[in-house]
Amino acid sequence: MSTTEKSDAPSTPRRRPAGIGATLVTAVIVVALAALVWQGPTWFSEDGVPGAAQPGPAVLTLVLGALALVGWRTAPRRSWRVVDIVVASVLGVAVGLLFTLFNLAWNPISGLLGGFAFLGAVLTGPWLLGGVVGGLVIRRPGAAVFVELVAAVVSALIGNQWGFFTVIYGLVQGLGAEVVLAVLLYRQWGLTAGLLAGLGAGAAFGVLENLVSNAALPTGFQLTYLALAAVVSGAITAGLGGWALTRALARTGALAPLASGRNAQRV
Amino acid sequence: MSTGLLDPGVVRPTALARANPVAKLAVALVLAFGLLLSVDIVTAGTAVVLELALLPLAGLGALAVLRRSAVLLLAAVPVAVVSALLGVDSGAVLVDLGPISVTSGSLQTGGAIGLRVVAIALPGVVLLATTDPTDLADALAQVLHLPARFVLGALAAFRVVDVLLDEWRQLGLARRARGLGGDGLLASARDVAGRAFVLLVIAVRRAAVLATAMEARGFGAGEHQGADRTWARPSRLRPGDVVVVLVGVAVTVVSTAAGVAAGTWELVIT
Repeated sequence: MSTTEKSDAPSTPRRRPAGIGATLVTAVIVVALAALVWQGPTWFSEDGVPGAAQPGPAVLTLVLGALALVGWRTAPRRSWRVVDIVVASVLGVAVGLLFTLFNLAWNPISGLLGGFAFLGAVLTGPWLLGGVVGGLVIRRPGAAVFVELVAAVVSALIGNQWGFFTVIYGLVQGLGAEVVLAVLLYRQWGLTAGLLAGLGAGAAFGVLENLVSNAALPTGFQLTYLALAAVVSGAITAGLGGWALTRALARTGALAPLASGRNAQRV
Repeated sequence: MSTGLLDPGVVRPTALARANPVAKLAVALVLAFGLLLSVDIVTAGTAVVLELALLPLAGLGALAVLRRSAVLLLAAVPVAVVSALLGVDSGAVLVDLGPISVTSGSLQTGGAIGLRVVAIALPGVVLLATTDPTDLADALAQVLHLPARFVLGALAAFRVVDVLLDEWRQLGLARRARGLGGDGLLASARDVAGRAFVLLVIAVRRAAVLATAMEARGFGAGEHQGADRTWARPSRLRPGDVVVVLVGVAVTVVSTAAGVAAGTWELVIT
């Protein structure tokens, strides 16, 4: 029966070279990103003048990136069972339908409060839920990205006002949550992990939105937007909400076949 | 596969509509990353004009195209307005209301931002509308060689969309019969939240059953024994797909060249 836990020892007798290749590529990207931060991008300074060197943030980027890679390589449950894949997929589809609900509700909301420029930063939380819930429910490496991406594809295929952007945003937001769970070495699944994963998803959304929609706005606006998106939409709505949702799901017993349902059962 | 929500309607089998989904994905991605590099009205405007000229090739009816692309304005217009009102000011002042001011410079960047959103979103809308989820999954697994278990698992889950919609209606009826919900914004919001949670529970339960059924039919077997999966519907790239990708690249290159020639093209990330 699929729902019983098989031994979590890596069932792959031979190491797949593709995984090592991807790890190496990611490592190179992390180093390049840290070097870029060290250079001091214009984001850190006023009015687009290249800023001074940023050794602190650069080292932080390097350490977090290395931790994420270590987490990715050493996750306790690396292999996905069929039940994990199918539950993650269906969860993604269900979240995608909820996205569609918010897509429809978004126009009246933004029409009512249209004068408030930080609207998107504060109210994007529901669209970040897929990554947090997916990660916390499935508890496998890649679950956050997978669930958020499937949800975004469903939302885009049904049709919404953002078209192809939906898929890009879904991928980036999922990656934001995934990186945080990887930094936590795929061993933390509680409230803190939920809040931080939400923070990651919100920050990823904020950075992307600054590149896409806010590119022409002043740096101060963009930084405020990023902070609001990360804390309000990310940590509070998606993080706290996603954690509460996962706990409520576990209480119903629906997650019993999954890793997240096993230690949530009341005996 | 015919699902109510995902059904594109009548699609004429043009070369573009029949192209491999991976080729369509490549077009959308090339356009997205090419156009994201710069915020300027010439590049984005050229791209939108070229895309509109290519729309008849998409294979959708005129009405379907109009309905699907008009909705993009709902997202593009607010972005353009915010950028015009709060953007970095330059040029002649047109409207001045204290911190909020519209200048010719900020109006232009606002227009550029809005056009850019349309230019990137539009091909996605049209290409997604003519893509069948089954074809997409076949292409992702066979052409891009993404992990087959994940692609097929997601495809199986797509079939649950109809079931979940049905459940959504039934949940509404059941809650009504029990006297839950009610009028007013707050009550209906609480009602929707309750239904959404139960929908998630139903989805996860259904997925666990689906997983057992799929595994009983051998799904995921032989994954680590080196057994090669065979496919009922072969998906491969044809010469026509290369043409489609080249057209996408051409649209990106021509619009960027127009922006550079006009002197407005400027790399946004420095």
